[in-house]
Amino acid sequence: MRPVHVAGIALALAVAALLVACAGGKAGGFNIPNVDVNQLVQNVKGLQAVSEPEEIEIGGGVTETLLGARPMENDIELQRYVNVVGLWVARQSERPNLPWHFAVNDSDYINAFATPGGNVIITKGMIRVLHNESELAGVIGHEVSHVVRKHHLNAIRKNAAFGLVMQGVQVTAQSGKSQELVNALVGPTKDLYARGLDKSDEFEADRMGVVIAARAGYDPWGLPSALQTLAGVNPDDNYVKLLFKTHPAPSARLEKLGIAMSTSFDSITGGSESNERFLRVTERIRTAPVK
Amino acid sequence: MKYATWLVLAPALLLMAGAALAETGYTLRVTDLKAKPFLDAETLAKLPEKAEVEIVLRQGPWMQVKTKDKQLGYVRMLQLRLGSATTAKDSGGWVSVLGTGPSSPRPTTTATVTTGVRGFSEEELKAAQPNKAEYEKMKGFAAAPDQAAAYAASSKLEARAVPYYGEDGKPLKDQGGKK
Repeated sequence: MRPVHVAGIALALAVAALLVACAGGKAGGFNIPNVDVNQLVQNVKGLQAVSEPEEIEIGGGVTETLLGARPMENDIELQRYVNVVGLWVARQSERPNLPWHFAVNDSDYINAFATPGGNVIITKGMIRVLHNESELAGVIGHEVSHVVRKHHLNAIRKNAAFGLVMQGVQVTAQSGKSQELVNALVGPTKDLYARGLDKSDEFEADRMGVVIAARAGYDPWGLPSALQTLAGVNPDDNYVKLLFKTHPAPSARLEKLGIAMSTSFDSITGGSESNERFLRVTERIRTAPVK
Repeated sequence: MKYATWLVLAPALLLMAGAALAETGYTLRVTDLKAKPFLDAETLAKLPEKAEVEIVLRQGPWMQVKTKDKQLGYVRMLQLRLGSATTAKDSGGWVSVLGTGPSSPRPTTTATVTTGVRGFSEEELKAAQPNKAEYEKMKGFAAAPDQAAAYAASSKLEARAVPYYGEDGKPLKDQGGKK
């Protein structure tokens, strides 16, 4: 965890502890009625702070726009499959209890996206180039890591329109209608997902994704193996243009992962029992000709 | 079908059939070809840089490969790049984006195929309008934790403690894994 977060949490905890101490100080004639500790903690952390329920609301709005760019692939078995595998992987992360949702969209382009609060979209084109479930688990582990580390949420917080987003969050909380929030998120979503995260966030998600997949019982070399496939794709190909624009080059990611993984993961194996199911569920996508 | 048509089609069919059988790669640098997938296994040969190999199977950090002179052995995955070393500069030799799966058609080049392709380009992203119904549908597919656990059990996937590692390859002490 980065120092800035530690400091923020420490400060919030200190304020909370102080308030609890004060509330308990009634005997001394000191009482604070109707204090919303959560609200106060949030104010201390700054107006930009986002609670988990708010993060989930924001993530929903972001996901609506990404699904607006390309809807889900019409394949019930595949959608159920990625949700089961995805949740199993996400359960091994530091945020196991988020409402995790996974989807394969019907894009032939190779990409995968995470949005705040636990949503992951993988393109059909990505599924097509994967060889086995450990590779899928590695890709999912990478996306789950973005959510765990709140990479996208923190990037959206830096957007000039974030005030409007939080206004939308308030309206949603009061009225239950999220339209204002969703509308406020359209711009920041398009900006962020066309530009990409900081490279350091991507490298971190690679290192964490490998570990999360390994914790779930998979071959930790699934993610590097998927990246190796991408490293062999012509970067001028339209199918990978957005992915390559928004991420460090696969060869650079492999080089960094190679140093981070070294031989530490050599004795960690697994995932081979699930490959038959992966091949069966994805067969239609992998064999259907692209017109 | 006329003989002349076959003359035109046959090379294309052969190309596809051949391509469906093998994935190819090449060494990024001088690399040991090992007899077994272990660092201390016997070294069968030293492959030069840009040695072309056929990928036989993936095994953790190793790939079983077959060399040009039909020698079988294991090479570290990260020492290989997929595709072909000799043609990577032009349009051929790249990995196909249309699939590398075992049963995919896997053409050897990424010949421009644009008709009917469902993109997710920057332009398509910028033109997007939120789709609430689609997100509701996505949420409808959510799995329950016990479903995920049952799937894992049926696939012999066991949760295990693995620490995170830093950029330098050292385990991070404050994040020792979940269990």
